[in-house]
Amino acid sequence: MVHVLQIEDLCRRFGALTALDHLTFEVPASQVVGFLGPNGAGKTTTMRAIFDLTDLDAGTITWNGSVVGQAERRRFGYMPEERGLYPGMLVGEQLQYLGRLHGMTAIDASSATATWLDRLGIADRAGSKVEALSHGNQQRVQLVAALLHEPELLVLDEPLAGLDPSGIDVIGEVLAEQARSGCCVLFSSHQLDQVEALCESVVIIDNGHLVVAGRVDELASSGPRRLVVRVEGDRSASWAEGVAGVAVSQVTGGEVRLVLQDIVDSDAVLELARGAGRVTKFVFERRRLSELFREAVK
Amino acid sequence: MKFVVIALAVVLVATLRVGRRRRHRRTGARAARSVSSPLSSDVGLIMAREVRERFRGRVFKVTTLFILIVVAAAIVIPVLHNGKAKPQEVGIVGTLSSSLRATVTSSAKSADVTVHFVPESSVKKAKSDLHSGRINVAIVDGRELLVKSPLSSADNSSGVQLVRSVAENLGIAEAFQAAQLSPAQSETLKEAKALPITSVEGGKSKSGGGNASEATSLIGIILIFVMLSQYNTWMLIGVMEEKSSRVIEVLLSAVRPIQLLTGKVLGIGLVALAQASLIVAFALILSKAVGSSLLHGSAPLVVVSTLVWLVLGYAFYCWVYAAAGSMVERQDQVQSLVLPLSLPMIFGYIMALTGASSGSPSALLKVLAYLPPTAPFAMPVLVGFRAVTWWEFLGSAIISVMCTIGIARVAATVYRRAILRTGARVRLREVFNRTER
Repeated sequence: MVHVLQIEDLCRRFGALTALDHLTFEVPASQVVGFLGPNGAGKTTTMRAIFDLTDLDAGTITWNGSVVGQAERRRFGYMPEERGLYPGMLVGEQLQYLGRLHGMTAIDASSATATWLDRLGIADRAGSKVEALSHGNQQRVQLVAALLHEPELLVLDEPLAGLDPSGIDVIGEVLAEQARSGCCVLFSSHQLDQVEALCESVVIIDNGHLVVAGRVDELASSGPRRLVVRVEGDRSASWAEGVAGVAVSQVTGGEVRLVLQDIVDSDAVLELARGAGRVTKFVFERRRLSELFREAVK
Repeated sequence: MKFVVIALAVVLVATLRVGRRRRHRRTGARAARSVSSPLSSDVGLIMAREVRERFRGRVFKVTTLFILIVVAAAIVIPVLHNGKAKPQEVGIVGTLSSSLRATVTSSAKSADVTVHFVPESSVKKAKSDLHSGRINVAIVDGRELLVKSPLSSADNSSGVQLVRSVAENLGIAEAFQAAQLSPAQSETLKEAKALPITSVEGGKSKSGGGNASEATSLIGIILIFVMLSQYNTWMLIGVMEEKSSRVIEVLLSAVRPIQLLTGKVLGIGLVALAQASLIVAFALILSKAVGSSLLHGSAPLVVVSTLVWLVLGYAFYCWVYAAAGSMVERQDQVQSLVLPLSLPMIFGYIMALTGASSGSPSALLKVLAYLPPTAPFAMPVLVGFRAVTWWEFLGSAIISVMCTIGIARVAATVYRRAILRTGARVRLREVFNRTER
């Protein structure tokens, strides 16, 4: 069965603050979906709503067409923004306990705990108390808690926060592997380069409502053409200023990023650049996720 | 014993009912597993974790050991004290025949003391010795008893009991002598027994041991207070820690708040019952072994009623403390909650202690025995005084259970709405205000 999580018309107000404003999007199976938005956009509220951890004023959340209930939630995996484990409980026992709360048998929970701890490189810490682990290892344990019961939907709130590069690589591999196995994966992050590398799709929200959603490839190639030009000896890129239909997006390290309107002939831009000096770089590039994000939420 | 069993059954059913109320039917194999095996159900898992963690905890071991030591001391020290008690010094002014001396010795035995006769040269010398405390009582020519202070009707100490018994028995002996009865007639009269009294409405007649049962109820209410305070603190801190460590979000992504709360209540309740049963069993065995008077008369009934009211008291208070724990997440926030929550318990405890020490139950204590917050302390005292019938006991238990069900419902609502709110301490107004949740 191909799973799909549908968020439909969610509304949530906290007093005068509107956290969710008719938010609608879906998370398809076999994809890692990045859930982006500035602080306070409503990402955490949305994720908590999936697990009934906050009340909703309106809207529905469905899983494969049915409204999500307790039975469905037991088949989901959740990693909250503020990490939560019993500090004084042993890692192995705690994971088995959480696995069993998701319906696993004692034997299955024990076996899955051993497998996942080994996979994430912390098998030797199964007998340690959680409070004795480093931040990164606690993060790994928290991820195991979300994965242990082979969830059909993974919802991870800022899973990459505070991790070193190797930790990010491991989590990235795991998320990709889960998506390949048919799991729906929704995760939020402010590390846009990492999201771009990991995700097939993104959902960007701002002030509680959807601003952009789609496949990363399609979003990156959509919109006006983007050109990167380097002219030897010219670090200010003053030659590009004032050209009709051309906007300077960024000037860094002797390179200038230009956004061309459809009417602009790129050969004409090349000629202008040659007029300023020897052109050592002249390439079209995809729209980066960070640019897309800034444009979407400005 | 019948009403005790009924009360326990009512509590068990009420507690399970709250746990089941909001549990929806689940579909699929997973749900089938949950239904088929109670321990593998969510509530069972949560309960088992609580039991395991509490039993492992150093606090539990130290507290249990401490209570056992205190109970052992309360049982053994009075026995040792009685065993080593000094004999009562009985001054003899004039002469006292050997038969009357035997009567005094026999009276002392019935008062659980020993006597030592001290010859006194004159009444003046005897009075002087009474003032100085050298003797406890003086017998003048076998016809009059002198004591230092007037006897109080409420004073049941062994010394006063001895004086009363000696006065009564010497008076009888004097009457026998005045009647000029033959030795055989005197013996027959000495062996006279009261006629049996049978109540037409049935039931057992009251027997001795009133002091023992009152002392037992005194120890019982102290234990109830100490243990309820301990279990309530566990509940409060346990809920608060789940909230402050944020593990609550992970747990509630898999189970319902009411399941989590019920599992916690049952888990800590089971540990409490186990600890209380261990202490009671220890007290019973030790009392039997050292021959303590704590189990004389109706004292065993007081022990059982103490156990019942410990369970009922826990069932009532645990929900309140769980709801309070869900509203805080830091120790400094706990401080402001502890006193108002403890006040009903402290009030009930002090009133029960005062009542048990006074020798008779007051009207206020009888009222408190029907109020769920104070009944766990007041009712065992009434049982100790034999001032309550079985149906009054059962009535109070039913009131407590009904109120517990009501409190559990409110507490579950507060818990569900407050447990995920972090930051400042949650106010009740915020919990019940829809727009602030």
